[in-house]
Amino acid sequence: MNSLSVYLTIAAVLFSLGLFGVLMRRNLIGMLISIELMLNGANLNFMAFNRFLAPEPAVGQIVALFVMGIAAAEAAIGLSIILALFRRLRSINVERAQRMRG
Amino acid sequence: MSGSFVIDSLAHAVFWVVVGFVFAGAALAVFPRNIVYNVLGLILCLTGVAALFLYLGSFFLALMQLLIYVGAICIAIVFAIMLSRPLHLEVPKRRMPKLAAGIGAAAIFFAAVTAVSWKTAWKPAAERGADWTITTIGHLLLTRYALVFEIISLVLLVAIIGAIVTTGFSRRLSS
Amino acid sequence: MMWLAHDPVLTAAFACATLPFLSMAVILIFTRPYQRLSCAISVGAITVCLGSALYLLITLRHAPAPVEYQWAWIISSDMVIPFGFLLDRLSLLMLTIVAVISFLVQVYSIGYMHGDPGFSRYYAFQSLFAWAMMTMVIAPGMLQLYIFWELVGLASYLLIGYYYEKWSASQAGKKAFVMTRLGDIGFFLGIITVLLGFGDLGILHMNHAAQAGDIHPAVVTLGALLIFCGVVGKSAQFPLLTWLPDAMEGPTPVSALLHSATMVAAGVYLMSRIFPFFAASPDAMAVALVIGTITMLLASTMAFVTYDIKQVWAYSTVSQLGFMVMSLAAGGYFAGVFHLTTHAGFKALLFLCSGIFIHEYHTNDMREIGRGGGRKLTIPMICMTVGALALAGIFPFSGFFSKEAILGVLAAHPNKLFLAAGLLGALMTAYYSFRLIFFILFPRETAEPAHHHEEAHGGHGHGDDHGGGHHGHVFWAMAWPVMILATVTLVLGFFQNELQSYLLGLEPAAHGHEAAEHGGHGLGHYLLLVTAVSLAVGGVFFAYLEFGWKKATQEGFLRKFPAVENLFANRWYMDHFYRKALDLCVYCGFTNIFTRNDRRVIDGGIDGICRFTVGGGRAVSFLQSGMLQYNLVLMVAAVGVLVLVFAL
Repeated sequence: MNSLSVYLTIAAVLFSLGLFGVLMRRNLIGMLISIELMLNGANLNFMAFNRFLAPEPAVGQIVALFVMGIAAAEAAIGLSIILALFRRLRSINVERAQRMRG
Repeated sequence: MSGSFVIDSLAHAVFWVVVGFVFAGAALAVFPRNIVYNVLGLILCLTGVAALFLYLGSFFLALMQLLIYVGAICIAIVFAIMLSRPLHLEVPKRRMPKLAAGIGAAAIFFAAVTAVSWKTAWKPAAERGADWTITTIGHLLLTRYALVFEIISLVLLVAIIGAIVTTGFSRRLSS
Repeated sequence: MMWLAHDPVLTAAFACATLPFLSMAVILIFTRPYQRLSCAISVGAITVCLGSALYLLITLRHAPAPVEYQWAWIISSDMVIPFGFLLDRLSLLMLTIVAVISFLVQVYSIGYMHGDPGFSRYYAFQSLFAWAMMTMVIAPGMLQLYIFWELVGLASYLLIGYYYEKWSASQAGKKAFVMTRLGDIGFFLGIITVLLGFGDLGILHMNHAAQAGDIHPAVVTLGALLIFCGVVGKSAQFPLLTWLPDAMEGPTPVSALLHSATMVAAGVYLMSRIFPFFAASPDAMAVALVIGTITMLLASTMAFVTYDIKQVWAYSTVSQLGFMVMSLAAGGYFAGVFHLTTHAGFKALLFLCSGIFIHEYHTNDMREIGRGGGRKLTIPMICMTVGALALAGIFPFSGFFSKEAILGVLAAHPNKLFLAAGLLGALMTAYYSFRLIFFILFPRETAEPAHHHEEAHGGHGHGDDHGGGHHGHVFWAMAWPVMILATVTLVLGFFQNELQSYLLGLEPAAHGHEAAEHGGHGLGHYLLLVTAVSLAVGGVFFAYLEFGWKKATQEGFLRKFPAVENLFANRWYMDHFYRKALDLCVYCGFTNIFTRNDRRVIDGGIDGICRFTVGGGRAVSFLQSGMLQYNLVLMVAAVGVLVLVFAL
């Protein structure tokens, strides 16, 4: 448990699962959840590097904190977009949002 | 010695249990069709990640993780679910090509990231500080990272206003 | 601009070549709504030009060599095409004529166009016309001459089609433009021929080289013939003569300008400008002589039957131009230019007088003008008679001297047929011009109700604004130029010797009447003189018998030959022929080909390209499924592959 690679692998699993969710889910809220997973994977990476490699332990935490702040903003915007889309399409299926179809 | 060994191995075991919770939560957040399960899975996963932060030596971040993610974001998602119609009432039928493509892409990415993380010879910094206190974090936030801090605040403000405007406008447009 | 101040000659030439253009630009851009201001600008510009032209004429009167100001315009290996000013005797004389006539016409137009809604536009185009003509006259090279030649055509198109709301006017403008263009194609090919065969477009160089025999005779002949095409178009020679009678659709002062000093004179001017070049090719001269003769006779016959007062003068212009071309082609350089000069004077006079009648009676029909009391307008009536006498070649009016000079030249020509044609032309000229005069002087009440040509002069319903009495400023603005021109017509003939010595660069000759430069001193010459005058008088008398005399029927002898009358009235069916040829050749031939080309090749090509583009877009548009996640899949996979490839 005390090796960097373990944490990096956990983070990679989280990230890839989130990625898979983003690519697969048709439910927009599901996609948003998956994005949160990805962000947590990234955060875990930061913290792991901070724990094992970084010269100043405080800096990694601060960065992780910023990521959380961004995640909060992203969630707010994402949810409001989802609601707006739901009003427009009466659905939260991302495959319905096909205005850009060529 | 033995005491510390017991504690160590206990911590080890707990660590892997926590990792198991994280993975289980992540799987639960991604795979089920029911969106409520997804949220519950997310909560489980995020709590696990908070525990991992404890293992990584940051009590503060673990607390923040619980507060922001579990306490705020997940609740917001639950609200959104309640405001919209659940998708499983529609006609969701998985398309196999899409599934395959998603699995393939995620797998490639996973392979790439893990390969990089295992193959790289990570070298710790030559001089490593040991200052993990919240006091230092607070100092740094208000001195060296003050600008970033301000910008993050601004981004949050804009995001909140944007969220209000987006929902408000779309209501006006759709009515 | 400092160099201008040091050289008054250059300054004057420069003024002539720029001021009218500036005036046009200013009028069109700034002062269109202010009619009086526009008029003042235009007339002011032409006045300065007139002053400059007179100054140049007087200053350079005795200049031994032509004054040339040239700047290189196009330089390509050993070929240099200049632009600038060439001030020699001929161009100065012509410049003065153009300036004088333009000035008088513009002054006249103050009265004639009074109250017209397009007053400013009219003056802008007048300025354009004057500018183009003056710059053309002093052009030192053929290319500059050609450019301004075309501008003259453009200006005349604009002015002939001045009443563009009127269908016939816009048609006439188009006709004039297209027909002259037809000749200009030949002109341009001629310029190219000269450029290829000789390599220099400087007029003086061309003339010297042609005289010295430095140019290959074939090049000279071909070039001269092609350039003569331009003369045929511009000066309305056979077979391109039908545009000129139609050109009277424009306002009458425009016709005056067009017929006397600018448009049609340009052709004859060109011919005299490169006269030595022409003279070096006997074949070209022969062709020109024949064409001039045909034109002269044809146009005279057409003038026999028309009742349109302006049309009579238009035909007479064509026939007088034929005279000039004949004279030049027969080698009578001075006679041709002299006739051009006198003709400019009396033809402008005739048109301006007709303009007064038309302005007064709102009709172009000479019978109606006569019936309306045309002879009560004393000043224009007298002046018009003066002009007609000059046109007929009666002593002592200017036309007499110039026509005598031409007949003298023709008499010197070995083929006496041309002399006979010239004498016949003189007879016919006298007949038709006095037919018109007598129609107005001795009106008859005919039983047949004449059509009321109220429309004949479109857009001119403002006869009442000078309230009955025609001696308002409107009338006088028209009368003064007319009287000046009448005086010129009376006097100009007596300056033949001075003009001749000036133009040919001789010392002022000893006293004595010299009719032609080919030395017709003997008995034959006087015989010719007497014959010509008696023929002219005979023509006048014949016209009097038929139209003036109290018992005359006013029908004309041609009424007895309806077929011939029809032939003449329909302009020898030339227009019909052109129409047919146009239908056959252009509408069925070219148009068909071009339409097909347009549809198949151009449209088809564009359509093909469009179809290809659209099809290509369709073919790859499946990539843009609008599905966010497919795009993401591609992106992620690509990033993963890149990482695997490069990071490991």
